[in-house]
Amino acid sequence: MTMVAIALLVWCGGWWLNSRLANGPRAHTRGVKLLVPAIFGVTLLVVWELLVRGLAVSLVILPAPSVIAERFATSLPILWQDFQQTILKGALSGYIIGCVAALLMAIAVDRSDFLRRGLLPVGNFVAALPIVGTAPILVMWFGFDWQSKAAVVVVMVFFPVLVNTVAGLRETSAMQRDLMQTYAASYWQGFFKLRLPAALPFIFNGLKISTTLALVGAIVAEFFGSPTVGMGFRISTSVGQLALDMVWAEILVAALAGSAFYGMMALVEKTLTFWHPSQRG
Amino acid sequence: MKTLLTAAALALGTASVAQAADEVKLQLKWVTQAQFAGYYVALDQGFYEAENLDVTILPGGPDIAPTQVIAGGGADVTVEWMPAALAAREKGLPLVNIAQPYKSSGMMLTCWKDTGIAAPEDLANRTLGVWFFGNEFPFMSWMSQLGISTEGKGEKGVEVLKQGFNVDPLLQRQADCISTMTYNEYWQVIDAGVSPDELITFKYEDQGVATLEDGLYVLEDKLSDPAFVDKMQRFVRASMKGWKWAEENPDAAAEIVLDNDASGAQTEEHQKRMMSEVAKLTAGSNGTLSEADYQRTVKTLLDGGSSPVITKEPEGAWTHVITDAALN
Repeated sequence: MTMVAIALLVWCGGWWLNSRLANGPRAHTRGVKLLVPAIFGVTLLVVWELLVRGLAVSLVILPAPSVIAERFATSLPILWQDFQQTILKGALSGYIIGCVAALLMAIAVDRSDFLRRGLLPVGNFVAALPIVGTAPILVMWFGFDWQSKAAVVVVMVFFPVLVNTVAGLRETSAMQRDLMQTYAASYWQGFFKLRLPAALPFIFNGLKISTTLALVGAIVAEFFGSPTVGMGFRISTSVGQLALDMVWAEILVAALAGSAFYGMMALVEKTLTFWHPSQRG
Repeated sequence: MKTLLTAAALALGTASVAQAADEVKLQLKWVTQAQFAGYYVALDQGFYEAENLDVTILPGGPDIAPTQVIAGGGADVTVEWMPAALAAREKGLPLVNIAQPYKSSGMMLTCWKDTGIAAPEDLANRTLGVWFFGNEFPFMSWMSQLGISTEGKGEKGVEVLKQGFNVDPLLQRQADCISTMTYNEYWQVIDAGVSPDELITFKYEDQGVATLEDGLYVLEDKLSDPAFVDKMQRFVRASMKGWKWAEENPDAAAEIVLDNDASGAQTEEHQKRMMSEVAKLTAGSNGTLSEADYQRTVKTLLDGGSSPVITKEPEGAWTHVITDAALN
């Protein structure tokens, strides 16, 4: 009971501190801007730890953060292996193949009205296929190793990138396109100098959405057959052994990798679309 | 506060004994099928009612871990395989085996004969499909007995694939052998048009690495409550009556299972065949856990190769308290 009381106190203390900082005179400095979410996160972890210990929650239901951290620290080699298999081989290769294919397809769709009417509905259809249905089939086609996971990822990321890119390529106004024409610009000159830059914010939207989709696809696909390595494999087998601390350690890896991947894409976006209103200020 | 609540709950519990039947929630390990026929028969034939029990049978599935359900208080008693139960016990979820309706294990490895596999030694340098989710340990133990590594293909090693709950990897020849149950997946292979002559099977029971399947497990602390123990004694007695009835009337038992299959996914032919195979596994058990079988299971699990499922001899993982009173 004391631990539960302390948890409540910690929660109130964190809240008070954060509201003081956020409303204080230094609220707009970079340090405080980083400090506020950090305090929130730490408070959440401490409260979690205290509640789980204070209420004697079974490890099977929810392990304490300290238990997860310990498991994380002691299983780094396994986690690294799983990370390589699932994220570097499965998710990343699928992401690259899927996004490049979608970009090329979007250009083709943009050039031809015939394709736009014929291919977009097909893309829509593919996007609506449930992963639990396609994953076992793709495992059957491409085998148990990372190739089938990459295929699942391709299917998942293709549509968001395609739709966003097609929309982005239509972003320029008739006036701007006319101007290019008066300069006697060819299709490709107009494409690279005007329309592609204008489409970039849209394209990056699709690319950013796809980063997390790729991770989810690669992990879930491993539930339907995999070699004895990989994050999805580890999660499903660890649940069977009630090693919930291991499951949470893998979740932590996935969360960190997903945030880093997303952050990287956001950074590339920032450098390439510095001119866009959303990036100013 | 907690004791007050418990006392109140107890008072309520004892008060209701006189009026209404005692509620028991049974969590199955898998979907409704003849593997659990005994429980459905006991329900259908009124064996539970005769013991003044109101039993709810909760089907499982690929996304349900029975150990987690019972840990969360979603069930009073669960059907589980001993490897998973002992692993859970070591992880801090004190499951206790109170009865063991299954005498023999139905797990085996099914291989294509034309790959040249004739004996367990021939398994080296092959690709094998294995179920994980806690079912991989008898396999690991068997391989370590044979001196075959599971780290990858080679002279003295095998490539292990995590197989889903279907038989495609064998049919597609992505694997030379896959895990099957005598009462289920083996027949899916046969139904796919493969003749039994084309296959060779290795029963874990014959290889000496069989682990106990489909026992009844409850949480240890509940056993200190006499009312709960009494309820479980009646439950086990009625369930075993159901199992013996099912063994004697396999076709009728399969019909009862089909009647209870809310998903409608099971077919009559498949269930009747399953029931006749399951009857072979439950035959020879009156519900009492055999200590020798328990010791063999523990030994198999402790020998489980590089990552054993349990690292030390479990204590108090089973009790005869229920079966002794229920069956004598």
